[in-house]
Amino acid sequence: MNAPLLAVNGLVKRFGATTAADDVTFVVEPGEVVGLLGANGAGKTTVIRMLLGLLRPDAGDARILGEAPSLRSRRALGYVPQDLGLYTELTVAENVHFTAQAYGCEPAALSGALGEVADRLVGRLPLGLQRRVAFVCALQHSPRALVLDEPTSGVDPLARARLWNTVREQADSGVGVLVTTHYIQEARQCDRLLLMSDGRVVGRGREQDIVGDTTAVVVHTPQWESAFRALDQRDVPVTVAGRDVRVIGVSADAVTTMLDEAGITADVVDVPATIGERMTVLARQPARSR
Amino acid sequence: MVVKEFRELRRDRRTVAMIVALPILLLVVFGYAADFGVDTISTAVLGPQAERTQSQLPDMFDVIEVDEAAGLDRAQDLLVRNEADVAVVTGDVPATVLVDGSALFSAQAAVSALNRLGGDVDVEVLFNPDLETSWVMVPAIIGLILAFIGTVVTSIGLVKERERGTLEQLAVMPIRPSTVILGKITPYFVLASVDMALVTVLGMLLFDVPFNGSPVTFALGAALFLFVVLGLGVFISTVSSTVGQSIQTAFFFLLPQILLSGMIFPLEAIPWGVRWISYLLPLTYFTQISQGVMLRGAPLDSLWLPFLVLSAMAVVVFVGAVLRFRRSLTPGAARTHRRVAS
Amino acid sequence: MSVGVTNLSVRLGSVLAVDDVTLATPPGQVTAVVGGDGAGKTTLLRAMVGRVAPSAGTIDVPEPRAIGYQPSSSGTWPDLTVDENLDFVGRMYGLSERRLRTRRDTLVERAGLVDARDRLASRLSGGMRTKLGFCMAMVHDPELLVLDEPSTGVDPVSRVELWRLLAESAADGTAVVLATTYMDEAERASFVMVLERGRSLLAGAPDDVVAASPGVVVATGHPQRPAFSWRHADAFREWWPLASPNGDAPVAVDLEDVAIVAALRAQNGVES
Repeated sequence: MNAPLLAVNGLVKRFGATTAADDVTFVVEPGEVVGLLGANGAGKTTVIRMLLGLLRPDAGDARILGEAPSLRSRRALGYVPQDLGLYTELTVAENVHFTAQAYGCEPAALSGALGEVADRLVGRLPLGLQRRVAFVCALQHSPRALVLDEPTSGVDPLARARLWNTVREQADSGVGVLVTTHYIQEARQCDRLLLMSDGRVVGRGREQDIVGDTTAVVVHTPQWESAFRALDQRDVPVTVAGRDVRVIGVSADAVTTMLDEAGITADVVDVPATIGERMTVLARQPARSR
Repeated sequence: MVVKEFRELRRDRRTVAMIVALPILLLVVFGYAADFGVDTISTAVLGPQAERTQSQLPDMFDVIEVDEAAGLDRAQDLLVRNEADVAVVTGDVPATVLVDGSALFSAQAAVSALNRLGGDVDVEVLFNPDLETSWVMVPAIIGLILAFIGTVVTSIGLVKERERGTLEQLAVMPIRPSTVILGKITPYFVLASVDMALVTVLGMLLFDVPFNGSPVTFALGAALFLFVVLGLGVFISTVSSTVGQSIQTAFFFLLPQILLSGMIFPLEAIPWGVRWISYLLPLTYFTQISQGVMLRGAPLDSLWLPFLVLSAMAVVVFVGAVLRFRRSLTPGAARTHRRVAS
Repeated sequence: MSVGVTNLSVRLGSVLAVDDVTLATPPGQVTAVVGGDGAGKTTLLRAMVGRVAPSAGTIDVPEPRAIGYQPSSSGTWPDLTVDENLDFVGRMYGLSERRLRTRRDTLVERAGLVDARDRLASRLSGGMRTKLGFCMAMVHDPELLVLDEPSTGVDPVSRVELWRLLAESAADGTAVVLATTYMDEAERASFVMVLERGRSLLAGAPDDVVAASPGVVVATGHPQRPAFSWRHADAFREWWPLASPNGDAPVAVDLEDVAIVAALRAQNGVES
């Protein structure tokens, strides 16, 4: 079991004049959870669709268990799309049975909270339970690899932790998981990350690797509003965190100078940027010519 | 796959209703109601030999009035006012028989029966001398178009706000619900009116359909009818959460009107077991008005019944639907717990 | 001006969606309401803007003209362009032609939507649409800004930009209330309230809430009490009321951990 479960190599996909995926290469090994991050339009969905066999690449290839995506290799895959892919007008049990039949496996037994709502229409369940049903449907045919598109969007922290318990258990038993997320905190649950921007992979590794040497400057002062306004007026990318002002893309010295000019005294400190801030910096760079 | 589809279908009540109710409706209508043959024709016999003549008429002529003192003028009046479909005026030889061409199937039956009497009668078909089907259909279609825009198009426009979540936005803005409602409905009112004028003119141009009556009466009838169907459209939007559902529901309201309003099958031919439904449909009454005004030049007072019914329907349906819609914009007793922070 | 709700309860049908919640949302401050689906965030916000009637308690808010609202569906009209959307809302709030134009231009520029002014809202990306919805809620310069999950499903870059817009509004003196499921956003607010099943689970400034969380959270490879542990990356986190019996070192916790702890404790009936 040494071959990667999922592998894409040099994937390219163009739609008209736009290159949605540009030389994308990565693997997902058994037992690991890989997080795919990127702004909308960065190419995450395109890559996933090529991996699932829903889209044909213009160049490069995508492989599931070493084979090209096909009906057979798809049986080894579990997929939860962003909108869950459940039938809202069917009950939980009916959804589970239908998926089981489609994949040719035994339907999973529903226990606990899901057991209690087995005969309720999926459309009437709260989101947290809906997501758990989607998981059951995707896992019951014992897939070797999982592709989860924003699996915990919109749920509370405890429900999120529970869903991740399931994801981690799968990884523990050797399943390779590819997750996309917009939630940076969730990225910390992954073993490693891939950051995409403009169709390319622009960052790999753990959070520190992705952020690289991008730093943010935290301004701590009782007059946070004035500090904010002073910096905002100079067209510097600022945001607020509690009562502190965070600045990206500008050095601490430059910030101090600007604040001095505005007559504001403050503590100015360099801190590592967040992944979101790193992505903002990347987004502000001019798009490369193709 | 098949089982899943059935399961989903079972829970989609509107589609199930369509599958069950539609065949039944069609069966009943086409089985019982679909009849172009008219059994009785309301007839008035006037003039000096009226008493004698009435017994000589074939059975299908149902004599409702015999008046020896009346003549041609009264005959015409009776037909214009839709109080009789045929009027025999005795006195001259041959006797003159006026036939109401706007009651197409009655007229056809009457004309063929009268022609068998040969030279004894001089038949004159009023209002629709060539017994053109189009002349009778166009006024009804005008109503159908109004009904379509009022129910289907209006409900789609209103439901889209709900589907997209922008109804929330409107509800929060500092505008009165009546303003929202008026703003939403007025364009469809205007649209329907323009469409109606267009179809009327086109009908007149293409088929030479006459417009013998008062445009004011026509417009008044159209306006009332429009309020009824707009009300239906608003009502449909309050019981639908998706555009698809609103179209299905509008379909339920439209189909019976197409089949049973007298547009295709004459009311007289529809047996009473089904005809009572026709009398619940607004299009039935508007068709009476539009055919009356356009073909017969009927005066307002002769159309008092359809006008009265449409007015009552307009008030009940439109006001009721608007109140229902209004409730979705206001949460109810919210005032007591709010304090304006100053 | 004091803005907020006091002892608010809202009953929807047979469910008590909001249960005795007191939350102050003062001007110049960003207040975050956090919770999962069904926690009561949306109902609370809807009660503040007058869309749903309370069953008990009081709501202190400015008059409707001074409130700006963005529903969870972004609140934009898909078949209208960016400019048309803003024009419509501006006019509905009675802005004069000149003021509307100024506000519109300012907001569009701040939100980075200048190049998309003539684009239909349905053709905007999710992030841009949410920023448009924000501008629409702000066009009439409200005193209270209420945003229902503006950033759910929105990419991180747009979220950073959205926060900048929020911060600007707060800096200008607006009272900003937002509902979110993202803890990293809640951490950036001045005041956060975590709702669960309509009740307030945690409330306070983020740092205070984290500091006030009782017990310790440790990292461990083998948790002893499943009811109080959860996965974190490839290890576990476990909560102990005093100290871990194994001597596992406590880890620095953030708001998400604290919220999980609070939820677990509430579920297992532990006294707070």
